[in-house]
Amino acid sequence: MSQFLSSAMMHNIFAGLAQGVIYSLVALSLVIIWQSTHVLNFAQGAMAMFASYVGMTEIDRGLNYWLCIVVSVVVGLLFGGFTERVLIRPLYGKPEINAIVVTVGLLGVLEAVAQALWTSTTRNIATPLSQIYFHDQGRLVLLSPFVIFQFTLAIAIMLIVAGLFRFTDLGLQLRASALAPEVARLLGVRVNRMLTFGWMLSAAVGTVAAVIVASGSFGLYPSDMDGILIAGFIAAVVGGLDSPVGAVIGGLLIGLTEQFILSYWSADLAPLGGIILLVVALMIRPQGLFTKSVSRRV
Amino acid sequence: MIRVEHLTVSYGAIVALTDVSLEANPGRVTAVLGANGAGKSTLLRTISGLVAPKGGDIFLGDRSIVSMATENIARLGVAHVPEGRGVIHELTIEENLRLGAFASKVDIGAGLEKQYEQFPILGDRRKKYCSTLSGGERQMLAMARALISEPQVLLLDEPSLGLAPQVTSELMNLILELCHASNLTVILVEQNAKSALRIAHDAVVLHLGAVVASGTAEAIANDKNLRHYYLGLVQ
Amino acid sequence: MQRLKSFADQSATSSRLLGVFLLTLVTLAITFVLPPVADSQLAGGAAISIVVLGLSWLIGWSGQISLGNSGFMAVGAYATGIWAHHHPSTPIIFTFILAIVVGAFSGLVIAIPSTRLRGPYLAGMTLAFSAAISPVAQNFTSVTGGEGGLFFNTLTTPHWFLNLFSGQDATINANAQWTADLAVAVAGVAFFFMANLFHSHTGRAMRLVRDNDVAAELVGVNLPRTRTLAFVVAAAFAGLGGSLYVLINATVTPSTFPLTLSITLLTLMVLGGIGTLSGAVIGGIIYAFSSNLVGHINSLTGINPASNLGANMQGIIFGVLLILTMLFAPRGIAGLGPRIRRFLARRPRIAPVPTEE
Repeated sequence: MSQFLSSAMMHNIFAGLAQGVIYSLVALSLVIIWQSTHVLNFAQGAMAMFASYVGMTEIDRGLNYWLCIVVSVVVGLLFGGFTERVLIRPLYGKPEINAIVVTVGLLGVLEAVAQALWTSTTRNIATPLSQIYFHDQGRLVLLSPFVIFQFTLAIAIMLIVAGLFRFTDLGLQLRASALAPEVARLLGVRVNRMLTFGWMLSAAVGTVAAVIVASGSFGLYPSDMDGILIAGFIAAVVGGLDSPVGAVIGGLLIGLTEQFILSYWSADLAPLGGIILLVVALMIRPQGLFTKSVSRRV
Repeated sequence: MIRVEHLTVSYGAIVALTDVSLEANPGRVTAVLGANGAGKSTLLRTISGLVAPKGGDIFLGDRSIVSMATENIARLGVAHVPEGRGVIHELTIEENLRLGAFASKVDIGAGLEKQYEQFPILGDRRKKYCSTLSGGERQMLAMARALISEPQVLLLDEPSLGLAPQVTSELMNLILELCHASNLTVILVEQNAKSALRIAHDAVVLHLGAVVASGTAEAIANDKNLRHYYLGLVQ
Repeated sequence: MQRLKSFADQSATSSRLLGVFLLTLVTLAITFVLPPVADSQLAGGAAISIVVLGLSWLIGWSGQISLGNSGFMAVGAYATGIWAHHHPSTPIIFTFILAIVVGAFSGLVIAIPSTRLRGPYLAGMTLAFSAAISPVAQNFTSVTGGEGGLFFNTLTTPHWFLNLFSGQDATINANAQWTADLAVAVAGVAFFFMANLFHSHTGRAMRLVRDNDVAAELVGVNLPRTRTLAFVVAAAFAGLGGSLYVLINATVTPSTFPLTLSITLLTLMVLGGIGTLSGAVIGGIIYAFSSNLVGHINSLTGINPASNLGANMQGIIFGVLLILTMLFAPRGIAGLGPRIRRFLARRPRIAPVPTEE
């Protein structure tokens, strides 16, 4: 057994999954925002990065790791809500390109401000969970307590989000607010609150992803989330923008694809894993591999 | 009851409603009639708060609702079935119905059971997605969704649209029945004047945004001038 | 592609073409007056304006949002760089044609999966494409020079031009000015072409596809082909602009075309005015003198340009400008003209008309 777990193949699989989890979380945050507002936040990665940077400065002041995650997530939440209320709300009813462009602008501003405030050096937080890989009978298994924590966290969040949208009244109201806001209003749904909540929830999940990156061995730098956002976006598209489960699977698939490209071809080309998967998936099933909806809204 | 006073609505430079007044009372069906573009839908949308008027006032009972947000008006017991029914296709029948229950404090389980009793077809297919429903079934769903919150006021925008005559007739009977049974204030917007007048107690005729006639349904139905110019009924 | 035009259209187009021609002449004249530094900036601005024009065509006229035009720039740039590296004495015209062809081809390749997509899906797809350029460039080192990139020098100022200058810094002046004049001339040609395209049958079909694809199909417009054409043209323009851009700097590396450049292009297009010729010109001018502008702002607010904040001011300003423009003046600077006119005439606003230029 331990020989199997420490084989090169399993090393690649574990490494790919660990990276994939991060993409999954970002993809989840994009699914949340799509399901609640039908807007895609291109600044998602940058917002998450910013929020976790705020959390990280607290660690420098000696705050406990877990509390810092909470601080970061709360900052992310507030940021998401603020963005919806101030920047996106005025754009409902306008062509969708307007909202896309505004979020792209926000992306630029946040990265520039982050670099101005904290420079572009990588920052890292020390985690109480060990990142040292396990050794089973002397052989290396590419799992550590922290990696296991990552997986568990991602699965837990995915289940909560899927459950929220599928089974709860709140989830129903969120979906209705995105699908048919006028009809929802006529039914008494407080659509504006749903939209803000959707942004807040999405930002919170995205921030968790950024915190995990910051906690990892490579740390986080301001433009780090760009690539991760793109991968998360591809994961969400591949999985289907209305499927939390699809988003997670998509993210893991991209992580694995990248890892195998890195292992068997070239490290430089690893970022292409996502785009290759995207093209293939779009050719097979343009609306997403896991989505239920057969027709796209006209 | 709903009272509209001197309502004026315009979309930019286009005037949709001019000085429109009407009164709709509990236990009575008030038909709003007129040709296409007369402003009937605009009237309902303004009552519901989707459109802000330039002038005039709207009362729900004693309370002015003209500057209230749509969702709050809905929560006060005003149920509006919009033009085209507004059934959300990406959701199931049951999800659409549950959505309708949020506006009130009604117990959702009991509410659902009641609607499934009233509309058995919906009960049979409660987990199906709405894209599989026929026009008549969609109308049923829209009605059930409006009724589940036990509203006081029911605004219906062209419910007979796209329905066969037999189905329309049954639908109208149902509306009248519900109106009596729950003492609803019903405002029924219809292009199909004949079916509407058959069940209405009162009627208002709009033409190019203004009220050209109002009174009892019988009086409106029998007025030869109206029948010819505005209602398109055969002499 | 028929080029049927009504009489009114023809005279409007002629005046536009005349306008482009005159503007090019005037700008060329200006290069003689400007110091070499400004000339270099102007050259860069001209190159960027070509790319912005292509982007404006794609987003403004065919309604397909693309965040990946920096990728098309990179393709044209690398094609130019690789060729120039091995064959430095090729005439410039050939280099440009190469960049256009390669750019157009990459546009075609990207269009295949993309034209089926809408809105955010399309934006993400194009974003992914532009993000793929850097890894590819870094990996295939033997061809692209890897991380360090390629150096080349093909912009040699011809003798007859050099002889026009005298004095101490004659060579520097001449080189800078030649670069600027070349860039402006190329831009002039590109704008001339696009002015024709905007109001041709193709342009109108493009707009119809953007506004109402159901109607377009009914009228017999081939949707996928029209959308693909939009990409191809935009990519060709971006390739040309990218080629010019790196010829000016004599180098191309994987970091010449980062994601922030795509954002900058978008900002310039929106600020200038989406879907218009003048918008692209304004965008180019803003780009050319953005470092001056940023420097001014820095000195006005007392920010030290060497500090973290100072170094990132450009990014912050551009991002903020993009957001504000989109929220309050989505038609950009070029769109202000009609707005002011309308305000002065005090007529009530009717439904917005698609931008005409």
